[in-house]
Amino acid sequence: MGAYAVFSREMLMLYKKIGRMGYIFSSIVSPFIYLFAFGYGLGNRVEVAGGYLPFLAGGIIAITIMVNAFQQTAGSISVGRMYYHVFQSLVLSPVRAAEVILGIVLAGVARGVFFGSLIFLMAWGVFGAIELRATLVAGAFLGSFCFAALGVIVGLLVSQPDDVAFVNNFLIMPMTFFGGSFFPVENLPRFAQHIVMFFPIGALNRMMRSAAWEPGLWQSVLTLAGLGALFFAVGVAIYKRYSE
Amino acid sequence: MRYAIEARGIKKIYKGATVLQPLDLSIPAGGVFGLLGPNGAGKTTLMKIIAGLVRPEEGELFIFGQNAAERTTTLKRLVGLVPQDNNLEREFTVREALTMYGRLFGVEALSETVEATIARFELEDMQSKTIRSLSGGMMRRVLIARSLMPNPELLLLDEPTVGLDPDVRQGIWDIISSLSAEGKTIIFTTHYMEEAVKLCNRIAIFREGSLVVSETKEKLQQRIGNGADDLEKLFIRLSRGGDL
Repeated sequence: MGAYAVFSREMLMLYKKIGRMGYIFSSIVSPFIYLFAFGYGLGNRVEVAGGYLPFLAGGIIAITIMVNAFQQTAGSISVGRMYYHVFQSLVLSPVRAAEVILGIVLAGVARGVFFGSLIFLMAWGVFGAIELRATLVAGAFLGSFCFAALGVIVGLLVSQPDDVAFVNNFLIMPMTFFGGSFFPVENLPRFAQHIVMFFPIGALNRMMRSAAWEPGLWQSVLTLAGLGALFFAVGVAIYKRYSE
Repeated sequence: MRYAIEARGIKKIYKGATVLQPLDLSIPAGGVFGLLGPNGAGKTTLMKIIAGLVRPEEGELFIFGQNAAERTTTLKRLVGLVPQDNNLEREFTVREALTMYGRLFGVEALSETVEATIARFELEDMQSKTIRSLSGGMMRRVLIARSLMPNPELLLLDEPTVGLDPDVRQGIWDIISSLSAEGKTIIFTTHYMEEAVKLCNRIAIFREGSLVVSETKEKLQQRIGNGADDLEKLFIRLSRGGDL
């Protein structure tokens, strides 16, 4: 019940934002440009099994999920803590720590899946580059959970809202460009491949692109679920020690 | 005697500076307790510690006999806070803000309670307006209404009348008086001596993070005189480093 109260509050905040002109448009314009520019600009130069556009579409959906689940969650918490002070309502409330974090993370999942779905519809309808599969849907939910939980940690730890941009530059941006969204990680030097194999975006990319529940895909499922559970537990622990 | 607050050696340090010196303070349950002191005296820090927003570095705090360090759900239901900074969700309507807060606190018969709160605080005309469109006085009225929805035993008001016109201020004084008559414990900070003399049963004065005096209003008036002017003279003398 407590998690539902937190979730419904977060969703009402999102609904109010979506009502604003340009919020959805600004969230999908970058993925559209990536798909169009890289898909048609580099499509003939990158050799990938099944074609570059379908490969890229899965990667762009994964990035959209990551950015919206992580960034919106981290931004919402940090701004709510330090600028608008609306986070105080959660801290003052009798809702248990795990339920507060679950409510926030589920709202992050809703954001990630919602905007990921918009990009899916664009990639499917405009570019004909992807089709709906169970692995993709499962990946969208698991990936959103993982990145939203990471967003909770960052949102609770930063000392000012602008610090989220620092994390974006040193964590999200490298994952965006080196995590296998735009080109196969096999194209990277071997030492870099060992590093990026720990990026959750790599696991999410594999789930976006896999056509079936192959044995190797379960490793991606476990990676996202395991990291999601770890981030969630860390977020709860930090929240329990919260102090302004 | 039943105590709302029993603080023993509470100390708070912010960025290396001690903002609250080890504090021993007991506040009996029921009545209105005024916290006075110049800016930076530690009043807001103490309010936030009592509310559970800030964790002290040292000391123990008991609220109605319960250890505040444990922050149990039962304890959180006992305490309401009207903060100095507006922490209402600016995009929400007044009705939405009340509903979401009530849901976080598990308020029973939520719809009826929201209706009753809107009627009690005469918010009918503004219930569909967004928070950001309200005047400062109206926002403060919504903040007080919202904090009372879970029916807390202890209400903390941090400078509730600062910057408000005399009519709105009188309205808030009436609310404080009626809550006191209901048997609630009210702790509020203020810079207005007239307010303290008019409303408080007990008064504490802080200076540079230290408690200078904490007495019943009658005892304090025996020492310094009966009027708000006498209290103001004492306030200014203490603020300038003088003695009691």
